[in-house]
Amino acid sequence: MQEVSGGNLDAMAILFERYHKWIYNFLYQMEPDEAVCEDLTQNVFYKAMRYRTSYKGGKFSSWIFKITRNVFSDHIKKKKPNVTLENLVLVEDESKEDLSNEVRRLRIVLNMLPVGDKELIIMSRFQGMKYHQIADVIGSNEIAVKTRVHRIIKKMKTIYFEKNTL
Amino acid sequence: MKCSEIENKLIAYIEDDLTIEEAQYIEKHIDHCEDCKQELVFLKQILGGFEAIERKQPSDKVREGFLASLEEEKLVSSKVVTIQNENTFPWKTAFQIAASVLLLIGGYALGSFRESVKSTSQIAVLQEETSELKQNVMLAMLDNKSASKRIQAVNFSEEIVMPETKVLSALIDRLHYDGNINVRIAAAEALSKYSENMHVKDAFIKSLTIEKNPNIQIAVIQFLVKVQDKRALVPMQELLDQTETPNYVKEQVNKGIQKFI
Repeated sequence: MQEVSGGNLDAMAILFERYHKWIYNFLYQMEPDEAVCEDLTQNVFYKAMRYRTSYKGGKFSSWIFKITRNVFSDHIKKKKPNVTLENLVLVEDESKEDLSNEVRRLRIVLNMLPVGDKELIIMSRFQGMKYHQIADVIGSNEIAVKTRVHRIIKKMKTIYFEKNTL
Repeated sequence: MKCSEIENKLIAYIEDDLTIEEAQYIEKHIDHCEDCKQELVFLKQILGGFEAIERKQPSDKVREGFLASLEEEKLVSSKVVTIQNENTFPWKTAFQIAASVLLLIGGYALGSFRESVKSTSQIAVLQEETSELKQNVMLAMLDNKSASKRIQAVNFSEEIVMPETKVLSALIDRLHYDGNINVRIAAAEALSKYSENMHVKDAFIKSLTIEKNPNIQIAVIQFLVKVQDKRALVPMQELLDQTETPNYVKEQVNKGIQKFI
């Protein structure tokens, strides 16, 4: 990314190949709509390219993830200006895909979490980000993030196993 | 450790985020605690669920869209680069800078030259003023009632390199009429520096006729002998004829007269 920031735009193509799936899958977990997520992914890389000079070293994945979160939150605001993030919690998952029972249940549990919790657990468990990297992205510290993620896992476990209605 | 404490550490255990001792302790505990064992299974199932979530493959549209905007961006930034290349060396600016630097140096040189001329003349004026001031102070002090002040004033006159006639006549006045012997001696000493001046010589000759103090008489005789002023012979002869003149003064007069020949 240092190269891109210094003017070598071809290096941006390499970064795109390396990270676009990762970004796309995060967005897809947050909002399972292929067309929307493709648009948003493109938008993320477009912004990274435009604002390349604002990159001041550090992990590229953290930097582009910050952009991703901004793009996603802009998208939410644009899409439903009257709806707060909390109300999105109960967005029903379309289960048109042939999912195993386990994954389907997990999806439902995830959608029952507040958006902030959902985002955090996806970053940690699905995106494979380390606690310190998440802390960097959301502007917190490693211990706080770890504590929060552990609490979310316990909460999920409770919903998952104790609500037999699912 | 209680079961609740163990439960709190289970996620860290799964994450391999415990010390070996803690991990071994938990393993032992789980071996005989069914509740905690069940808890661990549940947690592993939850966390394992994330692994099972399908990773989607975005369509090629994303890449196409991105590459298109990348080409566009390249075009835009290369334009910026071209414009920059046309002005590889900004001659105009360079000349402007060089000109202003020259102007600055020239201005400084001119300024410092003028300043030095001005200050030299200023210093000269100042020096003149000080010597004038010294003279005035000296002249004023010569009229002081205190004898020591007058002596100080007489000594002060020695610092004046080219004393005006005003100063000299003031000194001569002291030599002739000052009531204090010491002031008269000091005036004689001060005046003896100006042995070429006619007024001074006249003053010494006059002093010889009116002076009654033997010390001053001797000093005056020595001066007149030194400058070889023959006009002194008459008043010296008179001194020899006067009965009240002390013998040692007469001796001095005789020696002096011999030196004139």
